[in-house]
Amino acid sequence: MTELKFLGYLAEIYGRKRAEIFVENPRKLRDILEVEFPEDRSIVLINQRVGNFDSIIRDGDKVIIMPMISGG
Amino acid sequence: MKGDAGKIVRVNLSDGKVSKEEISEEVRKKFLGGRGFAAKILWDEVSSVDPLSDGNKIIFSTGPLTGLPLPSSGKMVIASKSPLTGGYGDGNIGSMAAVHLRRAGYDVLIVEGRSERPCYIAIQDEEVKILDARDLWGRTTFEAQDNLEAKHGRNVGILVIGPAGENMVGFANVISQRGRAAGRPGMGAVMGSKNLKAIVVKGTGKIPVFDEEELREMGKEGYREIKGKENYDFWIRQGTMLVFEWCNENSCLPTNNFREGTFRFSKRLDGYALEKAKVDRKGCPLCNMQCGNIINDAENKNSELDYENVGMLGPNIGMDDLRKVGVLNRMADELGLDTISLGSCLGFLMEASEKGLIDAGIAWGDLDGCKEVIEHTVKKKGLGEIIFEGVRRASERVASGSEDWAMHVKGLEISAYDCHACPGMALSYGTSPIGAHHKDAWVISWEISTDRFSHSKEKVEKVVELQRLRGGLFESMTTCRLPWVEVDFGLHWYPKYLQAVRGQEISQEEIFKLGDRIYALIRSYWIRENRSWSREMDYPPSRWFEEALSQGDLRGYKLDRARYDEMLSMYYEIRGWDENGIPQKETLEGLGLGDVELVLGKND
Repeated sequence: MTELKFLGYLAEIYGRKRAEIFVENPRKLRDILEVEFPEDRSIVLINQRVGNFDSIIRDGDKVIIMPMISGG
Repeated sequence: MKGDAGKIVRVNLSDGKVSKEEISEEVRKKFLGGRGFAAKILWDEVSSVDPLSDGNKIIFSTGPLTGLPLPSSGKMVIASKSPLTGGYGDGNIGSMAAVHLRRAGYDVLIVEGRSERPCYIAIQDEEVKILDARDLWGRTTFEAQDNLEAKHGRNVGILVIGPAGENMVGFANVISQRGRAAGRPGMGAVMGSKNLKAIVVKGTGKIPVFDEEELREMGKEGYREIKGKENYDFWIRQGTMLVFEWCNENSCLPTNNFREGTFRFSKRLDGYALEKAKVDRKGCPLCNMQCGNIINDAENKNSELDYENVGMLGPNIGMDDLRKVGVLNRMADELGLDTISLGSCLGFLMEASEKGLIDAGIAWGDLDGCKEVIEHTVKKKGLGEIIFEGVRRASERVASGSEDWAMHVKGLEISAYDCHACPGMALSYGTSPIGAHHKDAWVISWEISTDRFSHSKEKVEKVVELQRLRGGLFESMTTCRLPWVEVDFGLHWYPKYLQAVRGQEISQEEIFKLGDRIYALIRSYWIRENRSWSREMDYPPSRWFEEALSQGDLRGYKLDRARYDEMLSMYYEIRGWDENGIPQKETLEGLGLGDVELVLGKND
């Protein structure tokens, strides 16, 4: 199973804070999400490495999608 | 040039003299306002003095955007030679005092000397009085605010210190409107050393503006743009507390005196916990994205929380209950103590207790113990006697290697971001112009979104760019950076605002040069006031280099000292400073600071 985690207001865009999805064939993150995110204001980490919405996701990956915050 | 009154009001508390001076057009152009003015005044007027002596001065400085109908522009900078660090210290505060000072016709208030007895300064337009504050001395900031509002009405701006400032605790701050705070590096202690309890300002005039109609229209448009941002509603719900979950996920949440970057009870304290506990919110004047979230604390009193105080009084001291955090935060606000430094000092004491280095100890997460320490800090007794001058001095008292985990840079406690795995942010703390603080360059998002563990020149350049904008432009305009940094309000608005206010265009090159000039002057001030200067002053504490994270996704990570040093050298090179971080002659001359170079030469 692929684990998706969404932080901050991006969780509200997706509708959930977490999801587990079975990715039978590797495919782009944006195709898995099926929801549009503000990509220039988002950070994608795949297994703790920087990715993007075009990164290929495989089953078992851990994906975090979070906003570019600015720490006050 | 319009856009500021061009006027300083100076109050000498030793002889009661009040004078008013013009700010030259050259200074207004070169330093803009706020922090720029404060740095210039301190450089010119406060040299080689004990920060708590009558020779020090405290400066309340606004900028050309302060008090105008523009997003989040109710701010001023409070600056002085810091008793906590011995260098340049400042903080910005959102307060009606900023708005009223401008309406009264002043850009800057300088307070110097020392009153023989407790006093406060009351300004109403042209009239400036020094009044008796003996009945206020010993009162909390909330009580003093109530008392002064009863005397002067509610339509005034008030800045006040609490018992911590009166007793010159090193990290005493200045409070306004029952919870707005500023001046982490002991600005409250400087007021206390002058027997100055408060400042009350009322201004009834109009702030001069070059093109009023244009400014009003652009201001309206700005407010509209902010409200329309996609994360605006979420911001209104959580404010800066949205950072909490984010930091925990990214292993940069300060935990147990910055030993770790994740806290296992984080869900009890995060922005969603705040939403459940929230009873009200408040903010600064002229702001439509108020960030003050008020909860009912564990003693059934209101406490205004934000990320920094929850981070430092929560996980950093092992406190896992938001309402208990609220109690400590409210006590700090009432007494006039900086919550970041307080959280660091408490964490230091807890670790020292755990290691058996101090006799009467305090355990992680001990609410009653914390309350007692806070009260004792203000009275300088018990464990408070160890920490009342901050963690740097506390570690000198405790010794036994505690210097390695006294979490400060240049004597100012680190704010709520762990940097075991954030080299860029560590550099930001290392080179912040007031000691370890995040306001000048918060670079963690950028470094995670690029290459978190790199020590590249590009990362160093990003730190410098943020310092130029956040630490130079925003601190000097003087307006809040949060619309830009938190909801992505267009940065392009600010040069337009400045042009409408002053009638003069300002280019990006001039903006960057302004930031560089202010940084070089503040750096020169540190060097002049600290004769034993070396590049080690720009290092973060040893803990981040020596002890790796033991929990979370990034366990095993720590900073690399040699690579940090490489980044620091790159930083100096970009800034035109030498290998010890001292601005070079040609750098100062290129920034129009040739006279500073001469003084530095004399000190060599």
